[in-house]
Amino acid sequence: MRLKRWASVLFVTCYLLSLTWGTAAHALKFGLCGNTLSYFVVWDMFCGWAAYDNRTHIVGEDAKGNYYEVREPWGAFTPFGNVDRVNYDVSNNLIARHINHVISHTSHPEIDRVYVVQEIWPKQFNVPAHLWSYNFHEPMEKLSYFHLKSICTANGSAIELYPDWFNRQTLLTIADNPRLQQASREAKPYYNTFFDPAANNIQNRFQATSDSNGLITN
Amino acid sequence: MKSMQTRRPALFSGIREFFFAEQAPYGIALVRMFLPAVALVPMIRRFGRVRELFSTDGAPTQLFELFGQGTPLPILPPSFAVALYGIMIFALICGVFGFRTRLAFLIGAPLYTYFNLLDAVSTMTKYSVITSHVLLILAFSECHLVWSVDAVLKRWKDGRETSAIPPRVPVWPARLIQILFCFVYFGAAITKIQTQAFFSGEQLRYWMLSNWNYANPIGELMATSTPLLLISGYITVVWEISFPFLAWRPIGRYFALGVGMLFHFITWLSLGLWIFPLICLSCYLAFLMERDIVAIRRFVHRLRLPTSLLGLPRFAIARAIEMRPVAIPASMLWLALATLVAIGAAEADYRIDLYGVRSNNGMMPLKTLDREVALAMINNSRPLREKDKFFSFDIGSMLVGGQLANRLTEYGYGDTIIAQCNINPPHEDLWIEVAIEDSKARIFDSSGQFVTRDSLWANFVYQTGSKMAPGDYWMILKSGGKEISRRPFKLTGDPGSLPPMAPMLTN
Repeated sequence: MRLKRWASVLFVTCYLLSLTWGTAAHALKFGLCGNTLSYFVVWDMFCGWAAYDNRTHIVGEDAKGNYYEVREPWGAFTPFGNVDRVNYDVSNNLIARHINHVISHTSHPEIDRVYVVQEIWPKQFNVPAHLWSYNFHEPMEKLSYFHLKSICTANGSAIELYPDWFNRQTLLTIADNPRLQQASREAKPYYNTFFDPAANNIQNRFQATSDSNGLITN
Repeated sequence: MKSMQTRRPALFSGIREFFFAEQAPYGIALVRMFLPAVALVPMIRRFGRVRELFSTDGAPTQLFELFGQGTPLPILPPSFAVALYGIMIFALICGVFGFRTRLAFLIGAPLYTYFNLLDAVSTMTKYSVITSHVLLILAFSECHLVWSVDAVLKRWKDGRETSAIPPRVPVWPARLIQILFCFVYFGAAITKIQTQAFFSGEQLRYWMLSNWNYANPIGELMATSTPLLLISGYITVVWEISFPFLAWRPIGRYFALGVGMLFHFITWLSLGLWIFPLICLSCYLAFLMERDIVAIRRFVHRLRLPTSLLGLPRFAIARAIEMRPVAIPASMLWLALATLVAIGAAEADYRIDLYGVRSNNGMMPLKTLDREVALAMINNSRPLREKDKFFSFDIGSMLVGGQLANRLTEYGYGDTIIAQCNINPPHEDLWIEVAIEDSKARIFDSSGQFVTRDSLWANFVYQTGSKMAPGDYWMILKSGGKEISRRPFKLTGDPGSLPPMAPMLTN
């Protein structure tokens, strides 16, 4: 009985410490990077949402130049409504596997290239028609923008990668500034391969046998 | 010194009382019945997709991959994955009815977490995390002592007389669930505080217009009223921060839990969330203490509701279990049933034939795509239309938190006209102009301002003066030299009603 009580105390203590760690680390933005377990103790349910909606389209091309919709012919899984699963892959971890999965489970001529395309539109066009006419007082002229995100092989390996539409748009807004453009043109990336600061250490200088001057030429 | 000596034991005895006071585990038993039942809804929905989402024959994406930690979890061949999935569902159903409850949760909780970890894209969510926490706590709790098949079997075994008094156990599992929710809400408040544009309503607006969850018609309506979102945002954060400080106060708990129920109900209406609110409300049952259940029972008794019917399923299951041969322990029966379910699940997966290989005599073909449509998608690098950089343009007369609180189409002399445009991020630094045009398309006022890339809206304020004659006008928004939007308004009244301007003094 006493052992059970101590086990309970231990369980309660460990549990409360883990919750405290998660909340404190989340508040201070410290010690959470690259830690899967942090997902279990960090409560960041509202991470912000973009102003533009987006969907992913995957287009396959065979050797004869025919195009195919790389989409599950058995019906895509829609986890939380009516949006296909692949659209929830915000971190691009699924896409290669998804392409390989669909192509390897369907019949088709040999696929040479697969294009991953983002479709983007402003979210105000998600407003239903009756609310649109009440709020916006103008015709609903929805226009979708298509943006090529990557070109892959049939097994999903990327051949060419491009920044996604949101990153590209952000970069464009910054690059819009002529002063920054000028500064970036004048800047020269530099990485010294001739001088090794570690070899400049006095101890190294006397102890090194192969390169006593601290000069490395490879 | 003396006060220190007396205060320290009092503090510890308070903590001891908080976690280890003994009560009948009614609250935690209710959580045991409701939470796994809700958690099972999305999991049962995925049963036909186990092969695709969680097996080597599909495309699972482990949560560890999102954090750059590779794929440490084993991914099983489809038949084994489906069999394990079947066992998970069986275990959670047993948890609901309280049949070999601890065994059920000790098996069900790790399997539930495992399958969620395997599909970070479309199964793992924060409600899965909350469920994993609570299933773990349930596994170590005494939630099976009341309102369960196990309790019925024990009562029959021990005799009715000894079991008339409800068993009392330490209350710490319920306390941990309560504390979990304090952390959940507190952490959510921290996230909101750190999120730019939450308190001006923009983030909520875009969330409500996202069609990533189930249908949310009320949310779409709310999204068009920014001041309402702004007020909701403040109320939410204040409630989330105050929850830990009110949840255990005699009166405060009614406020904290009542607002919580309302909050989760509104998230269902406005954001199209179904499972998340139900998971949270199931866990709220852990806040029901012994005295609350006694009060509820008295109330229900007064209403003469046939509550005994609620016990029928568990008594029926207990009777069925008691029909087993005496030599077979109930745990063996549980394991035998779990094995049967696993085999049945694997067979069901075979018959479902997700990829249609057997039913189509081969693999299904990919759908061809029209060449022009495909090329339009691949080679489209159209720049953003100027008008798509703007969310809305409206005119009114009142601001709340910087946001336009009303929309007007008629103004009198002396009124203030506020024109506001909301801008979709990301956008570059913009020069925005607003012009006033009369009914004969003559522009008589135009002003502009820089809107930097971090701005989400811009306001233009006008005082209706004697310069304008009564009549119809347009307020026109321009950006990049193009007309974006226009709003009509009427100016009524007598210009002579304006008070004369004070004489200007110059020195």
